[in-house]
Amino acid sequence: MLQLKRIVLWMFLLVIVTTSYAQQSKVNAAYTFLQNSQLDSAKVYIDAAVFHPETSNDGQAWYLRGFVYKSIYNQKEKSDRQSISRIEALNSFKKSLSVDTSSENVQENIKNIKYLATTLYNDAGASLDAVDYKIAIDNFSKFLQYYALIDNSPDNIKQKNIDFNLAIASVYTKIFEGDRKGKLEYLNLAKSSYNKVLELDPNNIGANYNMGILYYNQAVNLINQSDYDLDIVALSDIQDNSIKLFKESLPFMEKAYSLDPRRKETLLGLSGIYFSLNEFDKSNMFKLKLEEIEKQK
Amino acid sequence: MKKILLILFLPITLFVMRAMVAPDQGEEANAKIKAIYIYNFTKYIEWPQDYKTGNFIVGVLGSNSSLLGELNKMASAKTVGTQKFEIKNIASAAEATNCHIVYILNDKSTQLADVVGKVKGKSALIVTDKEGLASKGAAINFVIVENKQKIELNKSNIERYKLKVAEQLVSMAVPVK
Repeated sequence: MLQLKRIVLWMFLLVIVTTSYAQQSKVNAAYTFLQNSQLDSAKVYIDAAVFHPETSNDGQAWYLRGFVYKSIYNQKEKSDRQSISRIEALNSFKKSLSVDTSSENVQENIKNIKYLATTLYNDAGASLDAVDYKIAIDNFSKFLQYYALIDNSPDNIKQKNIDFNLAIASVYTKIFEGDRKGKLEYLNLAKSSYNKVLELDPNNIGANYNMGILYYNQAVNLINQSDYDLDIVALSDIQDNSIKLFKESLPFMEKAYSLDPRRKETLLGLSGIYFSLNEFDKSNMFKLKLEEIEKQK
Repeated sequence: MKKILLILFLPITLFVMRAMVAPDQGEEANAKIKAIYIYNFTKYIEWPQDYKTGNFIVGVLGSNSSLLGELNKMASAKTVGTQKFEIKNIASAAEATNCHIVYILNDKSTQLADVVGKVKGKSALIVTDKEGLASKGAAINFVIVENKQKIELNKSNIERYKLKVAEQLVSMAVPVK
């Protein structure tokens, strides 16, 4: 009986050692394929290794997987702004970072995550147009998620958030301007993006000015879209709504003015808002300031 | 395996201009409101039968290019019954005699008395744009009440010119000060 127990124990140990050796040899094979630029084979072996319980928490295996997928991204998917391999690579480096805290491993993972996260940010920028803006949003959101793993400086993230939201607001505004009646939701998206900027940086002149103009144009547009045979009662309602919008525009434009009293666009904007509110003295005051500045140039 | 490509953050402005939003024209919106009012006057006020042929003439005394632009747009889009609108930028009270509506702008408001004299016995609706003129001969005067464009209406200054005004318009006007 004791003899039998010994045999079972030896058999068990043999299986463990063999399995362990098998997983390690898969990692080694993946490494060899990577060195020979046989990326598809490297991918098969490293996937098999990291999803096996024996090596699923092996930081080096995950790091190698990240490197394999990063190589696939660089060699085959660089022009694909929605590259799946890039995300696989990032997730692998992230996993490696979480299971292997040796300083050399941490540094290597950080460098790779930074490289790939930067490509996400740059691809977000390159996708900022009326067609691909959803890709831009997705890439920027992923950039934030991975970049937060390696850079804890709030100022770096804040500035990138400001830059991106200013840019995406411009895209939304352009889409709205192309079809003011049919694409009204883009006006709200633009306002929401400028609001995000102003939450991060209340003194941002561009966001204040553009927000003011968005409300101002909305008010003007409300009137200009009206038909001439609009009844006086309905005209009264439209005037009420437009006055409300002009008044909403005013604090943003006043803020932009307080930040730079010599900015011509802001003076023109304030003159326009007060004119539309039928406050002609104030409108003329800003018009005169603008004329003075133009004379000085 | 440690080779890492160097990459820099590219400025977002490289890809998209942080464009400033261009302002629409507030002057045009103000002019549009007045044009809508003027078109409404033709619906709520009735001219005598002998004024219902030929063009419906709106004479504008004074300078305001936005307003003239809006009135001309209105003229090309609307009619008064079968009458076509004709918008005339008149230079003096003497040119007001054959107008259905004489609109005296703020910068020419001192000419109200001259216009009243010239259109005596005719059927002209005198519209002005300065506080107090509804009690000095104007039939309708544009006023600003709490940032809003409204009208004062002097009923007797309308009826004096053999024009009939609907009570609905009277009720929508603010009392003459």
